[in-house]
Amino acid sequence: MKQLHLKLLIIAGILSLACTTKVSEWVLLNNPANEYLLVYYHKEPLSETVKQQNSKITSDIKSANVRFRSILKNDIDRTHYALIYGNRLFSKYYNPGELENLTLSPLRKKIAAELMSGKLCVMLYLKTGNDAKDDPALQIIKSTISASPFREIIPVMELDRNSVEEKHLVSMLLNVESDLKDINEPMLFGVFARFKALEPLLAKGISTENINLMIDFLTADCSCVIKEDLPGTDILFTNDWENPLPAMVNRILDENPSLLHH
Amino acid sequence: MNQDTLTYRSPDERPLPKWLTDQRDGLNQYQPEILEMKEDRSLGISFMITGAVILLAVAVLTIYILRKNRKNENTNPALGDLKRKKNIM
Repeated sequence: MKQLHLKLLIIAGILSLACTTKVSEWVLLNNPANEYLLVYYHKEPLSETVKQQNSKITSDIKSANVRFRSILKNDIDRTHYALIYGNRLFSKYYNPGELENLTLSPLRKKIAAELMSGKLCVMLYLKTGNDAKDDPALQIIKSTISASPFREIIPVMELDRNSVEEKHLVSMLLNVESDLKDINEPMLFGVFARFKALEPLLAKGISTENINLMIDFLTADCSCVIKEDLPGTDILFTNDWENPLPAMVNRILDENPSLLHH
Repeated sequence: MNQDTLTYRSPDERPLPKWLTDQRDGLNQYQPEILEMKEDRSLGISFMITGAVILLAVAVLTIYILRKNRKNENTNPALGDLKRKKNIM
């Protein structure tokens, strides 16, 4: 009986600790990235060439958060690949060559390395290519982050929405919400955990107050309210998310208890 | 947690993401239960029960003492004579 009491006490202790884990850390450790579905839609039976081609694609993406399927469908105009997330169609590809680097790119590697090193998040700034729009918002981001007590653990990275090398990442970011593709404004994505991109701040929404609220969201205790309805979209990426370095946010909060909030 | 269903005229008027408005409004935390005032009769009932118990105890003790005295008079007549003498004096 006494052992049972001890076990209950330990479980209660663990649960109480879990509730003081910060959002960014809890999601990284406990929340596997949601899977994408790459579907090959075809009207005719698969030829040997196509089978080999799809076999290569499957092998290329096997370590990423995506599954591959072939579906025979008569009511399509052309054979194509479709990238689906949940019930949302992200992109269509009519040429297998377009799928190259679907799951991996230099910037995604760099962001994942920062997340695995214990950083709070990466502020990913998606630029329009128009300096008149991009520069003022970038100044606000830089000045806000440099004034934040969490500045050491929030790297800012820039990405041009016309980048060819990062076209898949840009496409996924612009699919985080259905109307983003039609908005030609600078956008700020908070990327955290296993490459989860929060719904962005954009245009005049990129303000000091809102950036600080984003930091507050990620440094708050992970309440059950957040766990049950996690915001954001997981970006497609090849990575082993096991054994990340300890979250640096805890050290900053331990040294400055006045920064603690819920 | 997006707000795609909402309409807006320009990007500047686009609604902020829900995670951000929830954080701003403190909705990402557990909300304490809202307590509603209800009619409370427990104090009145408590007084009534206490009064009833006291009255019952007094009545039971009165009957008990009266019966005991009567029994003593019956079993010890000298005690009755002594009382009567006291009354005469």
